Amino acid sequence: MSTSTSVRLAIRRLLHPNRSARISPSFLPSLIAPPGSVTRCTPFSTTSPSSYPRDNNPDRGVSSMRRSGPRQPLSISKTALPKPVEVSKLPKVIVDENHGLWQFFHKRDKPMNTPTEDDAHGRPWTVEELRGKSWEDLHALWWVCCKERNIIATEAFERKRLEAGYGEAESKARDLAVRRTQRGIKQVLTERYYSWSDAEALAQKDPEIDLSGDGPLYTPSYFEDQASEELEELEEELEELQEVAQAPELAPETKPGEKPSPNA
Amino acid sequence: MKPTQALWKRVARHALSTKQTNKGYYKGTGTGSMGRHTPHGGYIIEWDKVRTYVVPKNLKDFKLTPFVTKKIKPTKGRFENDPKGAMSGEAYLARWKSENGED
Repeated sequence: MSTSTSVRLAIRRLLHPNRSARISPSFLPSLIAPPGSVTRCTPFSTTSPSSYPRDNNPDRGVSSMRRSGPRQPLSISKTALPKPVEVSKLPKVIVDENHGLWQFFHKRDKPMNTPTEDDAHGRPWTVEELRGKSWEDLHALWWVCCKERNIIATEAFERKRLEAGYGEAESKARDLAVRRTQRGIKQVLTERYYSWSDAEALAQKDPEIDLSGDGPLYTPSYFEDQASEELEELEEELEELQEVAQAPELAPETKPGEKPSPNA
Repeated sequence: MKPTQALWKRVARHALSTKQTNKGYYKGTGTGSMGRHTPHGGYIIEWDKVRTYVVPKNLKDFKLTPFVTKKIKPTKGRFENDPKGAMSGEAYLARWKSENGED
């Protein structure tokens, strides 16, 4: 550019003397003076032209990274920025102690068990041990197993999300032990059902069992045939015992070898 | 959503999805049948088919855990060479007679 800045500005002022007077804002009737009076029009833009840089880029020099701030002050520039509160002084979140979601974790003070704690479990139930359990016990045990597996799954998800590191193997071993207990419960219930249905079919044809509803359900035949004979034998033994019991009172110096013991 | 012509050729190599045919390819979501369809496109729920979860009443005071102490050796059932073993109906009936029959 051959002309200097000051020369250019002077030329501009000469050519456009009433630059500011030309534009009158029509939307502001208060500013529009009644006809006849001296009109003093205000420019539309409050930004004075000299505040723009030479290339008319309104964002010249504005940088959020370098925290330059806006070129023109905003209404919020008068308000002071709030200072962040320290973490230790933040208000504590009030949590219900009895919230149901606590049941998805082993402990409350940390998101998951350590691998050592996860490994500290016993062996799964065997089918034989479960066979002796009642329906109510098995039902409750199943639910306990389900809840334990939910906890293990929650902690496994957290471990993966936080990239906590070790612990996956112990978690999987614990889950396997719980699943084996559940398998045993299912096995026991299946056995009970199959054997019960087979027994029901056998009972239809069993002479000792009467399923009609009138009279006793089970009348054992064993009692009628052989029990009377056994009763007689028992009565004889009882008499012998009574004789043996009475004899030492009369003659306390009997030889132990003479009278055979009834239990021999 | 239907694939474009260019994508159709590639999709043809994959398994059919429910979004591709006009009708006739039904594929469920694994939730199971909960009722039956009516001839006019409706659906009647059969509540016998709907699964419900019964909470055990003794769950709160239940002391047993999914694990047994390792100090006790695992036990196995004895069935005296019965081929049916635990599923034997005869054994069930005999045990019922001795334990429960005369109640």
